[in-house]
Amino acid sequence: MKKILSICLVLVMLLGFVAISYAKVNLILWTKEGEEALDWNKSLNEEFMKLYPDVTIEMVKKTNVEILREDFLTASLAGAPPDILWTVSDHAGPFVAAEIIEPVDDLFDLNKYVESSLNAVKLEGKYWGVPISNGNQLMLLYNKKLIAQPPKDTDELFKVGKELTSDDIYALVWNQTEPFWMVPWLGGFKGKVFAEDGITPTLNTPEMLATLKFLHAMKFDAKIIPPESDYDAADTLFKEGKAAMIINGDWSVSGYVGALGDSLGVARIPKVSATGEWPKPYTSGVYFMLSQGISGDKLKAAQDFVEFVSTMEKQLEMVKLLNRLPALKAALDDPLITEDLLLKGAADQMVVGTPMPTVLEMRCNWDSMKPEMLAVLADIKTPEEAVKDMQASVESCVKTLE
Amino acid sequence: MEALNFEVIKDTLGQLGGMLLYILLGIILLEIFIYVILGKIFKSKYTLPYMLMIAAIFGISLLIIYPISYEIRLAFTNMSLRHFRTYTLSWAQGLKNLKLIFTEPILKNVKFFSLLSRTLLWTGVNVVFHLAGGLGLALLLNRPMRGRGIYRALLVFPWAIPQIIAVLAWKGEFHFEYGFVNIMLRNLGMQPIQWMISPFWNFVAACITNIWLGIPFMMIIILGGLQSIPLEFYDAAEIDGASRWNQFRTITLPLLKPVLTPAIVLGIIWTFNNFNVPYMINANELESTDILVTGLFRAAFEYHRYGFSAAFAMVIFIVLFVIASVYIRMTHGLKEAYE
Repeated sequence: MKKILSICLVLVMLLGFVAISYAKVNLILWTKEGEEALDWNKSLNEEFMKLYPDVTIEMVKKTNVEILREDFLTASLAGAPPDILWTVSDHAGPFVAAEIIEPVDDLFDLNKYVESSLNAVKLEGKYWGVPISNGNQLMLLYNKKLIAQPPKDTDELFKVGKELTSDDIYALVWNQTEPFWMVPWLGGFKGKVFAEDGITPTLNTPEMLATLKFLHAMKFDAKIIPPESDYDAADTLFKEGKAAMIINGDWSVSGYVGALGDSLGVARIPKVSATGEWPKPYTSGVYFMLSQGISGDKLKAAQDFVEFVSTMEKQLEMVKLLNRLPALKAALDDPLITEDLLLKGAADQMVVGTPMPTVLEMRCNWDSMKPEMLAVLADIKTPEEAVKDMQASVESCVKTLE
Repeated sequence: MEALNFEVIKDTLGQLGGMLLYILLGIILLEIFIYVILGKIFKSKYTLPYMLMIAAIFGISLLIIYPISYEIRLAFTNMSLRHFRTYTLSWAQGLKNLKLIFTEPILKNVKFFSLLSRTLLWTGVNVVFHLAGGLGLALLLNRPMRGRGIYRALLVFPWAIPQIIAVLAWKGEFHFEYGFVNIMLRNLGMQPIQWMISPFWNFVAACITNIWLGIPFMMIIILGGLQSIPLEFYDAAEIDGASRWNQFRTITLPLLKPVLTPAIVLGIIWTFNNFNVPYMINANELESTDILVTGLFRAAFEYHRYGFSAAFAMVIFIVLFVIASVYIRMTHGLKEAYE
């Protein structure tokens, strides 16, 4: 009996020692960033921990934004969420609906950030994230070795595209499996996915019909895009010099600079000739979001970390390393941006963009647009059938949200 | 990406080591507790058996019993994004979930009976081909020939590699332009197929992948069964003038039944519940090629209908249980071969 009691005492002391050694503040950060930005993420953490020795940041990289969303919901339900997220604005909708993130209005001075990027995370009259970078918009990236000047409008795109496309080269590539690449064109045809109230989906519209017909023509009439192309295929074709132009986001620019160097150009997605309108890619950015209930030392540490990343120095460092536009208003006037052609091009595209809706119903829009867009691009449905089915799908989906 | 160096190994061990230490300490405390309570206080003669079992009981309770109980509870709630922390828990809600499963779309458009029919078709097609392919290969391998060991090793290969890797590789090979399947079709003068976009061909692609993955298991099971059949039966049949087909029909198949029945039941259950293949091959989330379990996953984790999905999971379990029970009863497959 004495032996057993002694063993118990030793074990309790051991556990106590382990507990004491964890008295530091440990912040758990989940990030959605891919390889290009992850190194910068890590260097930020290391620098911050040197400045604040009582804080450790444990960073977990999530494979993609969908995994991050699912895991955060699961972890929140289990009562063990991370303290801080580094993620995209469209997560605000589901996380606010589930009440698992904190509003940040009273925690940070939001006046120093670009207003449009703040608006992307404004729901129910409050702000739910602090922007890290501004933009996240799609734009036209082109290989100057294959095309000296990008087309200004869609008529020119088709004309030049037909001349450029051959057995080895495609004029244009983009991710044909995600409707995120379709919505800029919808904006160019003066369409929107929501009615004026911002929550009633409107997909069965003449503008959506025109968009689907345009995409169908791009593939089957002009034949300037590959028969099938997901994100990786488009990305690889462009990097290997087998595509003259790609429609992709600002997160990809640093990778293309690495592959093409000075041959990379950035421009606006060509104007829609039929309407005279510029396509309107969704703009948002990357954001910090705080778990609901974060308080005390952890909250202080999280605030310090967010402020650290929001300094002019770190914002400009991000611009240099990742070619992303800063969220800090003051940083936008820096010559680093105004004198850089790539960043100037990105900023030029962002100006005609539109904030991405982040309401919960947007999920239904994405899920309804995707299969119909795929069916039209596969030529197994007409655009007329597709828009009707889209609307039926989205209405059915919205019902399930209740 | 970091190389595997001492720092990385040290970090990993540090992270895992803490968790393992807690588990070990927890088990030791539990054992001491059982010893003190049962051994010293109650002086029970079953102290040692309980001490040996307690760790496993604890693990099973934590990893199986608790999650299933929680899921049954969840099936009686309306938990979703809008009712994430504060949800209704009641018998009425459970019945409502049940009604929704059979009357409303599971996802956007597809309803329960469409999903069920597609799942039954998926299971039927795959199990038939697994059985036919496995039986054919087992019969071929069950005779003396040179290099039999090498053929067996090569044929088991699809089963040996991690399923996810195999499925991802197949997914790449179904690419419209760069996948070897369409390249072969083009070289044969045929039109390439839109494997990832066409609902029908996407289903076929998933079947092809799963059949390739599943044949080796059946082949191994049946080969074992064939090798246990005494050769005297075949000798006697030959003497009596029975043809090869008659021997197969009257000797091989009946004596394989005790082996085939559990293999087919397992095959049905695994195929019915197969998630990896239909989910990964259906990269574009075509609702028209979802089966019950992939529909369940999407309803839970993409549409966040947690209460509804828990009830749906219970329904799938009941369906599968009934199918397996009916099959076993109909085939009398668990009776002895010599009865």
